[in-house]
This record gives sequence, C-alpha cells and structure tokens, in this order.
Amino acid sequence: MAGTMKHYWMTGLATVLIIAVLASGCTQQPLDSQETTLKVTGSTTVLPVVQAAADAYMADHPGADIQVTGGGSSVGVQSVGEGTADIGMSSRDLKAGEKTTYPDLVVTTIASDGIGIIVHPGNTVPALSIDQVRAIYQGRVTNWKEVGGPDQVIVVTGRDSASGTREFFFETVMDRQNFTPTQLEKNSNGAVKQTIMQTPGAIGYVGLGYIDNEVRAVPVIVNGEPVMPTVDTILSGQYPISRPLIMMTQGAPQGLARDYLDYILSPAGQMIIAEEGFVPISP
Amino acid sequence: MRDDQASPGDQESPGDGSFLPGPGRKAAGIGSLPCSHRKERFMKALWFLCACFAVITIVFILAFLLFDAYPLIFEIGISNFLAGTVWNPTGVPPAYGIFALIVDTLLVMLLAMAIAIPLGVGSAIYIAELAPDRVKAIAKPAVELLAGIPSVVFGFFGLIVLTDFIRVTFDVPSGETWLAGSLLLAVMALPTIISVSEDAISAAPNEFREGSLALGATHWQTISRVVTPAALSGITAAIILGIGRAVGETMAVLMVTGNAAIIPDPIWNVLSPVRTLTGTLGIEMGEVAIGSTHYHALFGIAVVLLLITLAINLLATVILARIRERHRGGTPVSPGGAKNRSWHWLSAPIRKYGAWLAGGVLGLAIGVVFGLPALLAALLGYAGFRLIRGHISQDWTQRVAFSLITCCIIAVLVALGIILFDIIAHGLPFLTWEFLTAPPSNLGRSGGIFPAIVGTMYLVIGAIAIALPIGIGAAIYLTEYTRETAVTKIIRTGTDLLNGTPSIVFGLFGFSFLVIFLGFGVSLIAGQITLALMVLPTIIRTTEEALKAVPVSVREGSLALGATKWQTIRKVIVPPAVTGIVTGTILSIGRAAGETAPIMFTAVVFSTRFLPDSLFDPVMALPYHLYILATNVPGADGQKYATALVLLGLVVAFYALAIWIRYRSAAAHKG
Repeated sequence: MAGTMKHYWMTGLATVLIIAVLASGCTQQPLDSQETTLKVTGSTTVLPVVQAAADAYMADHPGADIQVTGGGSSVGVQSVGEGTADIGMSSRDLKAGEKTTYPDLVVTTIASDGIGIIVHPGNTVPALSIDQVRAIYQGRVTNWKEVGGPDQVIVVTGRDSASGTREFFFETVMDRQNFTPTQLEKNSNGAVKQTIMQTPGAIGYVGLGYIDNEVRAVPVIVNGEPVMPTVDTILSGQYPISRPLIMMTQGAPQGLARDYLDYILSPAGQMIIAEEGFVPISP
Repeated sequence: MRDDQASPGDQESPGDGSFLPGPGRKAAGIGSLPCSHRKERFMKALWFLCACFAVITIVFILAFLLFDAYPLIFEIGISNFLAGTVWNPTGVPPAYGIFALIVDTLLVMLLAMAIAIPLGVGSAIYIAELAPDRVKAIAKPAVELLAGIPSVVFGFFGLIVLTDFIRVTFDVPSGETWLAGSLLLAVMALPTIISVSEDAISAAPNEFREGSLALGATHWQTISRVVTPAALSGITAAIILGIGRAVGETMAVLMVTGNAAIIPDPIWNVLSPVRTLTGTLGIEMGEVAIGSTHYHALFGIAVVLLLITLAINLLATVILARIRERHRGGTPVSPGGAKNRSWHWLSAPIRKYGAWLAGGVLGLAIGVVFGLPALLAALLGYAGFRLIRGHISQDWTQRVAFSLITCCIIAVLVALGIILFDIIAHGLPFLTWEFLTAPPSNLGRSGGIFPAIVGTMYLVIGAIAIALPIGIGAAIYLTEYTRETAVTKIIRTGTDLLNGTPSIVFGLFGFSFLVIFLGFGVSLIAGQITLALMVLPTIIRTTEEALKAVPVSVREGSLALGATKWQTIRKVIVPPAVTGIVTGTILSIGRAAGETAPIMFTAVVFSTRFLPDSLFDPVMALPYHLYILATNVPGADGQKYATALVLLGLVVAFYALAIWIRYRSAAAHKG
C-alpha cells in the first residue's frame, strides 16, 4: 500500500517535471524573421492607440505580427536604441542624454494629447486659469472657495515623478515651480481618474482619452475666455496644455515598421487615434 | 520520538550526530567501487553547487543593485540620499532624499503590526485552544488558504472599497492614507501570523495543559500563563515573518497610500498620505530614464530596502539562536511541527519583556488609531484593572478573555469575508466561458483573458522547472551530505535572506540584470528566472523538512545493506518525501502565479492577441492584467472584478490542493 503510494507520487512528480520541461521547450523556437514581426515598446500613454492601430493593421495584413508592450517612455527609448525593439513609443521628447547615447533615433510624431484638468463631477468650480492651477499644485491655494468653488479642502493629485505626463505638466503649467509635497502621486492616468471619481475635493490632470462623464474637465481660462479641452480646441491651438506623442526608430523606418507607421499617419490610422481620445496631427 | 531540536545551525546538539551522515559517509566509502565512488563524489559536488545557489543569488542581487546604485554616491551623496527629507527627482533643483520614505515605511509597518499582532495571536489562541473540533477543522485550513490571496487583489479591493470607506468614515478629503495601507497590510499579514502562531501553540505538549489544569488553574490561566509562554518563540517567529511581509509588500501599498513623500504631521496622524520605499519603486521604475541620476536613486532605494529586510531577518536569526542557546534542553518538542521547527525555543527575555513590548505596541496602536485621549483612557483603565484585579473572580476574567479572543477571530473572518464577498459578488456575473477563452480586445474592456491565463501558466511552469531541481538538490545536500558547519550555516542564512527579500527587489534585479544587462528584453524567460529565484527558498525549506521527516533508521538500514549514499537517497529517502516536496511545489506555484512585482518590469505585456511562440517573447499575466485594468484602463469595471476572481480562484485552488495533500498525508501517518 505504502509502496504504491510512493510510486504514484514519484510518477506524478516526474510527469510534472517532464511537462514543465516540454512546455518551456516547445515554446523555444527561433525568432521569427524580421519582415513579419514588429516589436513596439514604451510609453503606457501612447500604448492604447498604438495597440488599437496594430489590431486594425493586423486584421488587414494577416502575415504581420505586431507585438505592443508597455514599460514606459524610457524603456521605449532604450529598447529601440539597443535594438531589442523595432519601434519605441514615448509621451515625452528625447532627453539630451538619450540623444547623445542613441544619435540615430528618428522621431515620428503620430498624434497630440491634450491634458485636461479634472475634478469630481459634483465640484462646481466654473473655470481655472493656468496661474490658479499652478497655485493649487504648489500648495498656495488649499480650498476650492479661494478659486470660486465650494468650501472644500483641495486634494491635489498628480503623477509619479518618472511620468512623461508629469514632466510635461511641470514644464507647461507649473513653469518649473515645485509641486506641493502633500500631493497624492499615481502611476497612471487611470489611477488619477479613479481617485478623482471617488474624492469630492480632488483635482487631477489626465490625457484627453481619460475624460468622460465620470469626472468633470474644468475649462481653462485663456485670455479671459474659458476653453474646454476637446479635439477641436487642441487642433486649433486654443487649448494651452497639449503635447506630441512620438514613435522612434533606429534610422529611418523601413519595411513593416515603415508600412505600419504610414498606416497610423493615414486617414484610417488617424481615425483610430481620434477614437481612442487623442488628437490627430492632421485634421 | 524524534529529536526536533536538532535543527539548523545546532552544532553541539548530541542528537545531531545520529541524524546526519558521519557514519553514512563511511559506509558509502567502504561499500562502493571506484567507479560508483566517482559518481558519488560527482553527485555530492552537484548538490553542493545547488545548495550554494541561494547564497550566490543573494550576493549577486545585492552586488548588482549596488552596481546600479553606486553612482548616486557621486551624483547625490550618501548623506543627502539617506537623510534628505525631500524626494522630488524632477523638481528644480532635483531632490533625492529618502528619509521620509524610510520613516513612512516603518510607520506603515508598525501600525500594521499593532493591528495584526493582537488579532492574529488572539485568533491563533482561539483556533488552537478554544475552537470546537468541527470549527477548527474548517478554520485552520481556511486561514492557510487565505495566505494565498495575491497582494494585487488586496490592493484592488483597497483602492476601490477601503479608501472610500476611510474617506467617508473619518470625513477626510482623501481616503488614501497611512491607515489604509496599514489596515490592508494587517489583513495580509494575518494569515501568516495566525497559522505560524497556531502551529506553535498547538505544539505545546499536552502535559503542560494537563499539569496546569490539575493544579486547579482555570482554562484561561492555563492558556495565558502556561501554553502561550511555552509557544512564545514560535509566536515571535510568526511576528517577524509578518513584519518581513509588511516591509516588503509593494502592490497593495502603492495602490492605497497616496504616495505623497511626506512624514505625517503630526507624526501620529494616521490620516496623512504616505509613501513607502516599495511604493516608490513600484510607481517610478517603469518610466525612469535608464542611466539617469533618478534611475541610480531608485536602485539606491532598492539597496536600502534590501538591507532593511536583511537586517530584520538577521536580527530574527540572532535573537532566536540566543533564545535557543539559553534554553537548550528545557523545551517542549514539537511532534511533526512542520515549518517552524527552528522556532521552538522559549525565551526568558522575551517572556520577561514581551508583556511590556506587547503593551507598548498595543498602546501605540490605540494612541495612533483613536488619539491621545483614548490612550490615556486605556492606561487609566489598565491601572484600574491592576488595582481591582485581585477582587475579580477568575471565572469572570476567563469569560472576558474568551469573549475578546472570540472577537479577534470574528473580526479577522469578517474582514476577509468582506473582501471575498465583494470580489465574488461583482466578478461572478462577468465570468463567462467566452471571458475565459477569448483574447482581450479594446485593451481589456471587452473580450477575455485567455492569453493572460496561458501566460501565467507559462511563467509558473518555467519558474518551477528552474527552481525545483535546484531546490531539491540544495535540500538533499543540506540534509544528507553534510554536518552542520560554518558552510551550511552560511547556506541556510543565504536561503533565509533570499526568502525575506521583497518581491519588488527581485523585479528590479530581473530588470537590471536579465532584461537590460543580458539583453533578454521584456520576455517570458526573464520572468521565469525572476520568479524561480523568488520561490527557490520555499522549495528548499519544504523539501528539507520532508527529507528530515524520513526516519534515520531507514537510512541506516539501506546503507547497512550495502547501498551507496546516492542509491540510498534516490531509492529510499526521496520517495517517502515526495508528498512533502509536492506540497512545497504547489505552494510555490500559487505564490508565483499571484505575484505582480517581480514580473511587471521583466516579462509582461499590456495586451496581446497571440500566445508567445518563443521564450524571448513577452506574455500577458493575470496579476499584471488586473493591476493594469484597475489603474490604467477606465471603463473595465466588470472585467477587473472577473479577472480578480479568476486570479483568486486559481491561486486559492493551488493552495487548497497543497493543504489537502498535507492533511491527507498527515492523516495517513496517524492511521
């Protein structure tokens, strides 16, 4: 009895091991040839639209396998620079250091992204000027009533310090003034939005694609006029907070990479960009 | 009865010699031919290499993190880095001070322990001493099962439900607070604390209880004065394990603490947002420019984090060794006590100061949660209690104590029940066949999670295929081939340290070494290796326990019949230990399947329609998919609950299997 039990377990263990080895073994095939596989990696902000475009492109081109992975803008720059990926995505411009390390990177701008200032749907603040937004994020204004809203403590919510979105916000809105140390820091647009949805006093900033009726986008006062963040106002240049989203290749794009980038820049591709909530580069 | 005290690092114990292979080696030498002799030596060398692997790994991890962190000495300066109070890497000028992060990490850990220790020990006492058999038969495996809930599931629950609850209850602007982090960590540490403490309490010999009761002590007096003190070192071990888990936890904490790099003002303001070391790594690592000062600073944080956990672990080893030293011989033996054999030495010092320490921690907890007045009231109450103590009947004391203990277990079960109910109730309606078998579309807002399920399987299978042979080899070397020497001591310490290393540190190491340095890219193989390193200590430990449980007479019998050492191991010792090995393996599978932090920088991709066709392809994985749905993709509410449910179900199923095997084999041993 005990003998059969032992035997049973030994066999079981051996089977598990063999299956394990086989399973990892059979996935080990030579890398596919370059013309059918395209590795795209980088910014999680750019990722949704690139993934959607890849899905549409692959539906038309059954031979193409476009693998889109996240990791962040820096991973995008580094991967394409080192040749571990074919295309890199970034929600920020290349930094000086990155340009010196990888001098051959060629940048293609595929879309613009507006950054909306969002608050809880119940917040009645009519509009904010850039100066007011900056004062809030510096911690100089701490109650909504100081900027025409309800009597409520402001919960300042922003992105983590490695984020491309934060960097852009820091340059454009903050004018390189430091953020209040009490701001809540989130590692994604979605996490900022989640906090704003749940927190009546919160203020945050997210990409245009994350603005819907679960949060309220606050108009930004430009030359005395409130301007809502929309595709139109960003295209016309009225809305002041917008940035380019870029894709990078090592040298000029060739083969599948070029075809895919052309597709994104084509009317069909730009339509997908608009559907995902970003701003097409050409109307 | 077997001498369980003959355990790791216990050189002088007389029981050791008979256990381990002095005679065995001789017998093998006499009985074998030159050819098989060479084979014997080869096997021994092989297993020695396996055993060294854990030590090499931990040294290598530390070295590699230091390699990526050392430029910060020139770019920032050690004192600015450690003592600076401002963390603002993108500010003007940039500031890289992590003092606030260290303080916040410790605060979150302390409050979590202040909540978890009383509840955990209370629940353990209930399960071990008070619960009726039928309740115990359900409660004990249930608690063990709960240890398997992945941390991202806790974080997900915390983000959606707990922070909102705190915001409304305490009427604060935001619920993302120190308190939220500590509550979540407390709940996460509870299963570990309960099951290890419970093992220790149950292991106290029955003679103690019988003796105490026979002397006329009440049940409560027996528990509080005899049984619990006898189990104190086991309980201490449980608490240290809990602390380790609390310090190293990443995903749940970063999702609920708000991540503001400030020291709470005033320092006991539990409703302040905080940012831990692990949280900083979790949110900033993904986007940082490689090779920048910020990048070096993040690796500096990883080094600090690793050193803190190493210090906690070493301290634990030293404390327990000292306790054991003082109490050699006078201690109860734990029959078949599984994982915590080395913890069964009582301690006068702990017994003596433990009450004060516990009182201090409890006081801190009360003061922190309810404010200073409550602390004063509690102190007054305690003073009053001391005054009238002599006049209260023991019966009454017992009734109060038992109802408090029962409250503990009820609180624990209610907390875990709420979490499970929330996830099951919201997830079940979305759990369709299509969801399980279709690839995701529209970034997971529709379609299914099939590639994530398969990706998780691949990651786990690969990790086990790597870790299992090495782990078993190491365990064989440690139990069969060697006496306790300085070398084995180092190997064991290395294994312990690897076990205590936070999962995010494995993630950083995998990223820096496998993904960047070796150029694997974000790939299946990088994730498999990272996960393998993480589960290796579990496999070594459980295998070692299983091998040790094989009676020494069996070894002697085999050797006496002329079998070689290796034949004995292969044919005689390993087969009966397989059940134990399988249990350990399944526990490792559960852990590897549920972890997010080690794979988020090394192996996973946001969304893919295809399955990987090479080890160098990235994969989708369930925990990461849940994390992304919860934090990155708006409008996927049903999908995130359903993903949480699938992940929970998968991991808990593995744990259930392991627990079932263990109980069954325990029952078989008894029969």
